[in-house]
Amino acid sequence: MQSHSLHRMKVYWPLYVMAVPGMLFLIVFKFIPLAGSVIAFKDYSVFRGFIDSPWVGFKHFGTLIHHPDFLRVFTNTLLLGGFKLFLVFPVPVLLALMINEIRKAALKKGIQTALYIPHFLSWVIIGGILFDFFSLSGLFNIILGWFGHDPVLGMQESSYFRPVFILASIWKDAGWGTVVYMAAISAIDPQLYESAMIDGASKFRQIRHITFPILLPTVLILFLLEIGNFLDLGFDPVYNLLTPMTYNVGDILDTYVFRTGIQQGQYSFATAVGLFQSVIGFAMVYTFNRISRKVSDGGLW
Amino acid sequence: MKFHKAGSWLTAGLAALSIVSGCSESAETPANSTGNDSGAASGAEETVDIKVWGTNIGYKPIEKGSKLYEFYKEKLGVGVIHPYVEWNGGTNYLNQLNLKIAANEMPDLFLPQQGIEDSLAKNGAIADLTDLLPEYAPNLWNAIPQDMWNIVKANDPTGQGRIYYIPGMVDYGRYAGLIRQDWLDKLGLKMPTTQDEYVKVLEAFRDRDPNGNGQKDEIPTGGREEARWMDHLFAMYGVAMFEGYPDWDLYNGELTYSATTPNMKAALEFIAKLYKEGLIDKESLLNTKDKWDGKIQSDKVGNYFHWVETGYLPLENLYKNTGVKAEFSVLPVPKVDGFEGFYTWKKFTPPAWVVKNNKDEKKLMATLKLLNNMYDEKNWNDLYLGVEGMHHVVKDGKATRLPDDKSTQENLILDPYSKISTLDFMTELNKNTASEDRMWAIEQVNRNMQEAQQYAKVIAGDGMPASVYEGYPDINNRTLYVEYASKIILGQYPIDKFDEFVEKWNKSGGEEVTKRAGEWYAKVQK
Repeated sequence: MQSHSLHRMKVYWPLYVMAVPGMLFLIVFKFIPLAGSVIAFKDYSVFRGFIDSPWVGFKHFGTLIHHPDFLRVFTNTLLLGGFKLFLVFPVPVLLALMINEIRKAALKKGIQTALYIPHFLSWVIIGGILFDFFSLSGLFNIILGWFGHDPVLGMQESSYFRPVFILASIWKDAGWGTVVYMAAISAIDPQLYESAMIDGASKFRQIRHITFPILLPTVLILFLLEIGNFLDLGFDPVYNLLTPMTYNVGDILDTYVFRTGIQQGQYSFATAVGLFQSVIGFAMVYTFNRISRKVSDGGLW
Repeated sequence: MKFHKAGSWLTAGLAALSIVSGCSESAETPANSTGNDSGAASGAEETVDIKVWGTNIGYKPIEKGSKLYEFYKEKLGVGVIHPYVEWNGGTNYLNQLNLKIAANEMPDLFLPQQGIEDSLAKNGAIADLTDLLPEYAPNLWNAIPQDMWNIVKANDPTGQGRIYYIPGMVDYGRYAGLIRQDWLDKLGLKMPTTQDEYVKVLEAFRDRDPNGNGQKDEIPTGGREEARWMDHLFAMYGVAMFEGYPDWDLYNGELTYSATTPNMKAALEFIAKLYKEGLIDKESLLNTKDKWDGKIQSDKVGNYFHWVETGYLPLENLYKNTGVKAEFSVLPVPKVDGFEGFYTWKKFTPPAWVVKNNKDEKKLMATLKLLNNMYDEKNWNDLYLGVEGMHHVVKDGKATRLPDDKSTQENLILDPYSKISTLDFMTELNKNTASEDRMWAIEQVNRNMQEAQQYAKVIAGDGMPASVYEGYPDINNRTLYVEYASKIILGQYPIDKFDEFVEKWNKSGGEEVTKRAGEWYAKVQK
């Protein structure tokens, strides 16, 4: 067994050499910094440094959990994470299926390009656009005005926050998300469609019985990767849309830590929360991977 | 909009790594290697170079041999090296400073941020100035009154009553509500003195088209996001409020956080009423600085709250944008029955300088010499004017400051005149250094600065160190207050919710913070 793999290394040594830079990258930028996580269990001070800062056990995790607003912050994170997983994630799949059915090549390319563009805007800019969109002189209130409604300042209404967040996330990234799916679709053997057509399958049937099943493993893998980031919503989208009036629905772990940890120089606390998010993310990935292997004999590993 | 850029804290673990590897020795020339240039005053004595860090919002750095370097060397006898560090609201500055400190490259003289002087003092990283200042920097020692030094001593984090930082001082009331005098005159209204009169004036501003464009686009008054810069509305209820940050004052004889007082409740109720009636900007709580300034400068706003001494900015911009030469007067704090109103005055600004605990005696002495000479009032005018040709021009024997130009001007980092500001000096400065065509605005500003003094009151919490908030970041950055205040003003919460806020505030650390504040106050009173 061992000699066998050694033998293979000898034969395919160029492949191993090619893997070295990637491995180095992972080791230097991913694995070594992992050691930095220990400051979550220390009272890190720049004067004492990494080694000499005193150990404090789970103090910072306790601070997090006993914070009076922890429940609110955690619920908001779960809810927004859930929305993102179940409402935002499926959209690129549907979009890809739809784009695939466009027969005119020029139109197809045009639509794809138009959908990709928002991906390249940063959240700061999207936040700015949205704040203007919902301002008194913004498009939203102009349209409300046509129907005789009083203006509504959407960005300061709690009830608007989640829908705005979800729609903005879809608008920004759904188009870009189709790239992987389009690639998977283009790899489908055309003969399958031809034979289906001969059997008299309609367009809709073809999607249902050919395109979608073949796409499913890709969807599954992306879903599993997404689940790992369940609590890690990304700081930018939420922070740039948040106002004090929407804290009650939009204050999530990331914004909370930014306020109380990073801005105040509490590196240990910030790391503790990051670790907390990662551990939960890992648990979710592991669980869903097991489930996925049971039901569909495919998974990440 | 918030333009902060923040990395993910998952990478916070990287901090340790970057401390080891990230801070290579910078390219700045090391000091005291000179001696060959025999410029001025110092004569044969060699000039010592020291590194100075402070606010730089985009001007050029001061490098060895540059114009401003030579200027400071000649005027103050010390070489000042001031590298460019991006400011970004102080956040980036603080990060860079932390990295330098961790890499053992602390600047010799610098502006601390967000209370880092506490841990620096505890770790013996900054100099104990108690004995050094009277001996080596008497100008500085005498420029700041003894009772302020006493508060600095009370703030010593080591509890020994030593001096670790040089406080900033504002010797006059800097803030006031400002109201469009020309609008009042046009509508035939007199300056309001009571709350009822004030509300009537606001209504007239809203309804009677004082800007005369035929549209009902006037915004009687307003403020900015997080309920900031509308202090004039809180002022009439005697709420200690500093640029929108609730502060500490005596209520019923006890040092209390003003956000939790009945005064605050009454003020919020009043503001909510104004909001409902369209007397404050509907977008007040979404206004960024740019948006709110833009509204003032497009001839739409009747009454705003800000620094009086920078009042020429709205005046000149309004003139440039609309051709209207507006006139702003100080709004007297309107009287409300049962309340004693005032505009908050804090003599203490956050710590202005700390000095590195230098092992190198020569550098430490040079730093003190620099402090001594720069706090010499004789030098202030020159320091304000800066380098001729770069910061100012001389015409007919009169020096005038040139307009801001970040691409050519080196950063005037030594600005004692704004770190120990007196009313007389600021007024004189305005008068002496403005060009003829700006006089109409400057004269208004000078008049208003005098006018504002009668409404200013020094609050009891003046000079309180940020360390009382230690362990309670959400109390320190007033998250809870902003949330409740905003929602009450908008009418999303009824005013009764205020009591819930007070209870929550106390429970989430407010009680402890209040206790510490009380202890600090007792110490200062001694």
